[in-house]
Amino acid sequence: MPKWGMAVDLDRCDGCSACVTACHAENNISTVGADQAARGRAKHWIRVERYWEGEFPDVRLKFRPVMCQHCENAPCEPVCPTYASHHTEDGLNAQVYNRCIGTRYCANACPYNVRFFDFFNPSWDKPLHLQLNPDVSLREVGVMEKCTFCVQRIKAATIQAKAEERKVADGEIKPACAQACPARALVFGDLDDPESAVSRLSRSSRGSKLLEDRGTEPAVTYLSRQS
Amino acid sequence: MDRRSFIKLTAISGTGAALASCGAPENEIIRFVPDEDIMPGIATMKPSVCTLCASGCGLTVRMMMADADVVRDGQSGLVRIHAAKKLEGSADHPVNHGGLCARGQAAIQVTYHPDRITQPLKRTGDRGQGQYDAISWDDAIAELVSRLDMLASASNQKSLAFLSRGRRGHRAALIDRFLAAYGAPGAITHELFNDDVVRRANALSFGRDQLPAFDLPNARYVVSFGADFLGTWNSPTAQGYGYGLMRQGRTGIRGMFVQVESRMSQTGANADQWIPVKPGTEGVLALGLANVIMTAKLRPASAGGRAGTLIAGWSSGLTDFAPEQVEQITGVTAARVERLARELVETSPSVAMIGGSPLAHTNGLFNALAVNALNALLGSVEQRGGLFFTPQINLTAAAKGLAGRASAPSSLDRAAAAILDGSFVPQVLLLDGANPVFTSPKGWGVREALTKIPYIASFGSFLDETAALSDLILPDHSFLEGWTEALPESGSMIAVASVAPAAMMPLHQTRATPDVLLDVGRRLAKPLNLPWENFEALLTETFSALPTTSTFDTWTDAQEKGGWWGMLPPALATAAAPAAQTKPLAFSEPRFDGDAGQYPLHFLPYASSAFLDGSLAHLPWLQEMPDPLTSAMWSSWIEINTATAAKLGIREGDIVEVASSQGALRTSAIVSPGIAPDVVAMPVGQGHQRFTRYATGRGENPLELLAPLADSETGNLAWAATRVRITRVGDPDGRLILFAGGSREEQDRGR
Repeated sequence: MPKWGMAVDLDRCDGCSACVTACHAENNISTVGADQAARGRAKHWIRVERYWEGEFPDVRLKFRPVMCQHCENAPCEPVCPTYASHHTEDGLNAQVYNRCIGTRYCANACPYNVRFFDFFNPSWDKPLHLQLNPDVSLREVGVMEKCTFCVQRIKAATIQAKAEERKVADGEIKPACAQACPARALVFGDLDDPESAVSRLSRSSRGSKLLEDRGTEPAVTYLSRQS
Repeated sequence: MDRRSFIKLTAISGTGAALASCGAPENEIIRFVPDEDIMPGIATMKPSVCTLCASGCGLTVRMMMADADVVRDGQSGLVRIHAAKKLEGSADHPVNHGGLCARGQAAIQVTYHPDRITQPLKRTGDRGQGQYDAISWDDAIAELVSRLDMLASASNQKSLAFLSRGRRGHRAALIDRFLAAYGAPGAITHELFNDDVVRRANALSFGRDQLPAFDLPNARYVVSFGADFLGTWNSPTAQGYGYGLMRQGRTGIRGMFVQVESRMSQTGANADQWIPVKPGTEGVLALGLANVIMTAKLRPASAGGRAGTLIAGWSSGLTDFAPEQVEQITGVTAARVERLARELVETSPSVAMIGGSPLAHTNGLFNALAVNALNALLGSVEQRGGLFFTPQINLTAAAKGLAGRASAPSSLDRAAAAILDGSFVPQVLLLDGANPVFTSPKGWGVREALTKIPYIASFGSFLDETAALSDLILPDHSFLEGWTEALPESGSMIAVASVAPAAMMPLHQTRATPDVLLDVGRRLAKPLNLPWENFEALLTETFSALPTTSTFDTWTDAQEKGGWWGMLPPALATAAAPAAQTKPLAFSEPRFDGDAGQYPLHFLPYASSAFLDGSLAHLPWLQEMPDPLTSAMWSSWIEINTATAAKLGIREGDIVEVASSQGALRTSAIVSPGIAPDVVAMPVGQGHQRFTRYATGRGENPLELLAPLADSETGNLAWAATRVRITRVGDPDGRLILFAGGSREEQDRGR
């Protein structure tokens, strides 16, 4: 059984935000418009955080793309009364939309702030809806949504490999963010395979987990920027 | 027992009876849809070419079935179509290598935009009001033909003008050929962030009238003078790919990177050293580095070659640019100049680049030539880890029918001036892609000039500020609906021509502009001698002339791959052509509009990550994409240094008035440590008066404050040469929308 994970090389990431838009395009994330965005209701399953250090002229800015960390010990899971937020055996922190009753306990519990609540039914000004990805369900009002590691791509590749009676090759699955990234800062794969690119990167001496002390055991490893 | 095990156990014991028959109950509880029941949709992948900027990235379009309301042969109805679902970078393309920037990802929304012009329109209301009636294609083309015939019968063909963004490629070549065959002058081109100063400098220094490409994967030290090469400048996806490899693509080697600029760009945020300089003195710093290198005899002045001879005082070692003098002019300490120069030589291969605001001063060409000379001195021209020129295909050599071109393109400011002073007023204007009413300084009087032209026909897909002045609209296909192509000017070490057929059927009653032009040419009373039945025929001709790189013929292979790339035979290549030698250029102080006492701050408009020059502000994904440096969405803002803001009593989000000699606007303040105290910066892109439901009336357009100064050598707009003053006029009013902050991300800047 694979265990999916990601490595984010902050020495490669240049903050361009291609991942942010790619995620919208793949996962049917609706834009909410200026008024709702002003109320904190914009949904970005992956975002680029910025950390300023120092004052002019000795000032530095570091970027960090943050998405659901798919924690092994996910704080969002035990608080869900309906098991909408649950763990799959291949290491995904999954969200079953039609089980979710919108308590938002999971968003409260998540230390990474990566869960987004649908405050209203999504809408697309026609014909923008023609772009919607039929492999990804639309979320209705009152539901929590978040990064799935592009589970639809994982499933498609797994089913394809099964039909061809082979294993999923390393690098065969690319979530939309990793696929778009010009600098190849995001690497996805099977952490259970010690030879996979993501496993090798995750073992790097530059690696660390986000808010490691919370004991969440994220599946995402950040490789520190070298300057 | 950890928490999850505990939860699972309680869950199991609660529902245990119901699941007693299941083999692994803890799995069954959380099963939602069994794998066997998941049927991923069947997608087909088609090649395409992104046309949102000039980079020419290759695309792979994910196509699936969808039900669309379409009009076919005058009948509307719900039709199952093959629809584009997702744009991905083409994995093998030599420019983007599988990556695709945020703007490219959003490009699909151009096709599906709710406010696209869906069929030919004829103006009914006053110009600029945007009131149009639908007309048929036959009537629309007949109207344009009659206008052109009228000009021709009066032997006034030169009064046809064509206004475009002036990109390179087959489309531009066909337009040019159309104009020449008709007897009209070459197109008027306008691109706000146009890099013409760099092209001119490269033509002078290296005989190459084009943007450079950089071998970043092999570079060990990069110094960038103002170039936002990871964000918006030149070929960002190609450079982002190279950057990743430069940093972490080699075992034991990590390329270093220094950014010189007065406002931290997205690119500058990644630099190992970020060096602010006084605006317009970038070239002086480059010469200071050259001075140190020559004085310390690390490299001889002769290494500067032709590029060196273009700089006054080069052969005598640039004695006016000793580190102490450079410190006086640029504000960069002499010790730092010394150290940087030595690092550049010792950490080879090293390369310098220049782009963006350093070129947009009155001494822009000098800054570019100085950096070129530095590159030559470092030995980084056409060398591993250095600067290259992507071989350019000579289209005229590939397609004989393109021989006989129109006169060289003219610039919009001169064309507008000629119209306003009455010396030359075109009688018919064809408008393709450019929106100069939005992207030019008020001082050029572009809107007033265009309204003096009796007849304007536009090929655009959206009603923007300029298109709204047109009398006739002949809407083009989106790039997914027709032949799409680009001849990348840079971003690749090898020659490349991107091309792809339509990925999908047109959604609306639109027609490909190149085909419309050919059609018009045929229908004129005196038909034009253009040898192609349609645009495809021209593409077939040029691509068939290229050498094949597979077992297929070149044209079939190119359509399958989304382009051709490889070794270009010399007969098909554009030869290096050294521009006429000019006398050496000396540093001249940059001039700024606005008295320093009255307008104390330098005003720096910059290409926004989301919208570039504003031409992408109509795409909702880009409107809602948090800006990389501020996290702002759907907004305009001005960046002010922390200390300056404190002095002026300005806090984040406050409404400020920004005034120049040209006018004033009010926008939100963002207080930032990443900008020099005497500089304020504002992203270009918002402030559209008319550009679809998503951009109209949103934010402010910084270009309205620009004084029409120009680079003294090339005449190119000096868009970084305006001074402003800033006054706080009110508390935050909610118009600045940030994604970070509050419950999301701790943000504690400048307070």
